[in-house]
Amino acid sequence: MFFLKKAENWFVWIFFPLALLLPLFLEQNEFYVNKLTSVVIFAMFVMSLDYLVGRCGMITLGHSMFYGLGGYLFIMIAPEYEAVNFWVYTFYICVIAALIALVVGVIVLRTSGIYMIMITLAIAQMCFYFFSDSVEFGGNDGLFIFTKPDTSLFGLSFFNLDDPMHFYYFCLLSLFNCLVFWKVVTGSRFGRIMEAVKDNPARTTALGYNVFLFRLISYCMASALAAYAGYLFALQYGYVNPSMMSWQTSGTALVMSILGGMGSLYGAILGTVVYEGLHYTFEHLTQHWLLLMGSMIIAMVMLFKSGLAGVIDNLVERRK
Amino acid sequence: MDFAIFLVQLLNGLQYGLLLFLIASGLTLVFGVMGILNLAHGSMYMVGAYLVWYFFQLTDQFLLSALISAALALGLGVLIEKTLIHRLYKRNHLDQVLLTIGMIFVFNALQSILWGDDPLGVPVPELLSGSIHLTELVEYPVYRLFVAALCLLLAGALYLVINRTRIGMLIRAGESNREMVECLGVNINQLYTLVFGAGVMLAALAGVVAAPMISIVPGMGEHVLITCFVVVVIGGMGSIKGAFVAALLVGVVDTFASVLVPGVSSMIVYILMAVILLIKPEGLFSSQK
Amino acid sequence: MSESPLSQSPSQLSQANLAEADDTSEAHAISEAHAASEAHARSESTVVLETEGLCKYWGGVKALDNMSLRFHERSLHGIVGPNGAGKSTLLNMLCGTYKPTAGRIIHNGDCINDIRPYDFARRGIGRGFQKTNIYPQVTCLENCCIAAQRRVGGSFNIFLPKNSSQLLEEMADQALAQVGLESRRDEIASHISYGEQRQLEIAMVLATAPSVLLLDEPMAGMGHEESQLIIELLKTLKKDYCIVLVEHDMDAVFELSDQLTVMVNGQHLITGSVEEVRDNSKVKEAYLGQGDEVI
Repeated sequence: MFFLKKAENWFVWIFFPLALLLPLFLEQNEFYVNKLTSVVIFAMFVMSLDYLVGRCGMITLGHSMFYGLGGYLFIMIAPEYEAVNFWVYTFYICVIAALIALVVGVIVLRTSGIYMIMITLAIAQMCFYFFSDSVEFGGNDGLFIFTKPDTSLFGLSFFNLDDPMHFYYFCLLSLFNCLVFWKVVTGSRFGRIMEAVKDNPARTTALGYNVFLFRLISYCMASALAAYAGYLFALQYGYVNPSMMSWQTSGTALVMSILGGMGSLYGAILGTVVYEGLHYTFEHLTQHWLLLMGSMIIAMVMLFKSGLAGVIDNLVERRK
Repeated sequence: MDFAIFLVQLLNGLQYGLLLFLIASGLTLVFGVMGILNLAHGSMYMVGAYLVWYFFQLTDQFLLSALISAALALGLGVLIEKTLIHRLYKRNHLDQVLLTIGMIFVFNALQSILWGDDPLGVPVPELLSGSIHLTELVEYPVYRLFVAALCLLLAGALYLVINRTRIGMLIRAGESNREMVECLGVNINQLYTLVFGAGVMLAALAGVVAAPMISIVPGMGEHVLITCFVVVVIGGMGSIKGAFVAALLVGVVDTFASVLVPGVSSMIVYILMAVILLIKPEGLFSSQK
Repeated sequence: MSESPLSQSPSQLSQANLAEADDTSEAHAISEAHAASEAHARSESTVVLETEGLCKYWGGVKALDNMSLRFHERSLHGIVGPNGAGKSTLLNMLCGTYKPTAGRIIHNGDCINDIRPYDFARRGIGRGFQKTNIYPQVTCLENCCIAAQRRVGGSFNIFLPKNSSQLLEEMADQALAQVGLESRRDEIASHISYGEQRQLEIAMVLATAPSVLLLDEPMAGMGHEESQLIIELLKTLKKDYCIVLVEHDMDAVFELSDQLTVMVNGQHLITGSVEEVRDNSKVKEAYLGQGDEVI
């Protein structure tokens, strides 16, 4: 019921079953399962950015700050040698990230357009240097997570974080939930006004809506989910490091999101998968995969105006 | 801190600021006149440094290598504008971001293919290799003074071009109202090509003159790019005057911060920017309304 | 504005003049009675929106100087003046886009100088823009739903599906019906004609259930027939709303206005009935040019 557009429907029905089956063929190889997991996690991050940029019109180059914070927050608030409850800490991290986003948002959302790109970048860089310069947080090398949280809920343990397969399926479920969540948000009354704010802020103000508040709430939600993705990433590899917050992470996510088709939400998954797939392929072809990747991106901008989702939309609509 | 050290730091800061201005002026020009956000601008700085290293290996002449590099950079800028940027004027900032990130990838890859990933260095030209005494004990390298003087000279030239020529008039019109320049219609394509080429050349030139003072390493472009963004934003996007003031400010603040408060020195520039944007969300000398 | 607007003689006005010439006494009697009843009505009808010594300076430039006006309920207040007279500045201040440099804006007895721009709409001050300002990518119905949703509430509910409310849709439909756009209900806003887009914009403002309508040149760039549609629409609307109309089309303003204000260079020139303004020598001199051609 959420996936109204035909192309979207197709994608969901092809991608998720495929993603469910894929690890069965890869069971011997933990490396590939881990790789898939990190792609799925990153797709969640990209999706939150996609919502922010594509659905709210707030272009940020500092979103990686929250991705990184997701990991660092866990290290900061969780005791080092004691397994804490996964769900409780998920909640904590999302709430704290949203609160940080609230403060940052009040500053950042005073600006728009190119200034917003810049100031988000500056704040993320500040955060990046704070962690990469601090001895306490391991500087450039980051920190290890010694004790992974315990995932039991009401005394029942559904899955084990140390098992790559369990973790993969959990992340896949999270990704699906994220997609549904964002679809619900964009299809809600809140989403209607957010869309209006994006298309025409002046008109929306004149109709009596507090544009700033709508933007702020969206910013907080997207930041909380970015932090959630970062938290999962940190748990997967058992460490955090400042490169998670580097501007390159934001840049890459933005590229994936645009590649997939800005604002289409499912395009975030598509963009991440395609980008990572190309990355992997090129990396195996040549040591200079950046050259191929860069040329690919340039060709992409020149040829398609609305990303891969736009291409698929066109194909599907034409078949109809 | 005694006076001599203070003076040295101040000179360092100003010289760094002037170098930043050289790079940032191209960035802000391209944005002001064409509305293009060029993330690959830092790569041009890197290209300049690598080119001068390469030609210095071949010719052993710094001045000659510098001139060749600058000319090549101009050509490169024109080529990029004609083939890629040209088609992006009507598209949104996001597409520009995507394209220029793609260009960063390509330039980084080419650098790695052509010149490898090891740090490289260019010796200071013989003529400028000495030092002068500021006080009995404190010396200051002549080359750094030369760089500062050269940057000032270029800034002056830029000022003259912008304020005294017809092209400059169009650029100024672009600073205050980009749509209006589009309405003027006269040779707008040539103006765009020229401005973009000049911007690339200025960034490359900064790389060229910086080459003897730094180690030439992969990724040097990205670092300087972010700092230049800070400069351009503090100054006000599109404002050359703003970029000049902001570059000096950033240069001096950054240099002193690394002496006085080493712990947070890498953050200080961003804090400066956040504070200034809080007070003036459009930058110090914003001209775009 | 090289030509006098009055020289493009409006049909209504010339007819009135003819009547006067033919049967002076009767026409006088009628107009006197009319004026009396109007004056009576005005004194009784309440003032909804009021400005007191309103000023706006941009740097040293006085865009608007010492403007004191009263806008009455169930009437249309026209504002005319040459380009740069400060009409749009006035309108922008009445809806909170600009903050006044000095003076007060009073709505239903409260000074509303310092409330947030979006609170103007919440208090029932709705505005239309000079350039068409709609949401072009969604349907006409959706445009009105966006406007009406503030009354229904739930705009901060991220889980409430947007199409769940029958009431909301009815409100939007009603607003569309008020401007006669029912047939365009499900069309994408950018696909309907320019005139219809202006109508849609009025519908959106109506969907917010305003008490005051601020309209900035709703007939600009329209053909004669389209303008006529808007004029008829405003005639109906002014029975229920307080309308402040900034408009260049003199025929329309003279036809519609219960009260008329003339502004020149940010200054208030005169406020009065259409007849008072038309016969005022200062107006002829400053704005209307060679008015004697008509009279």
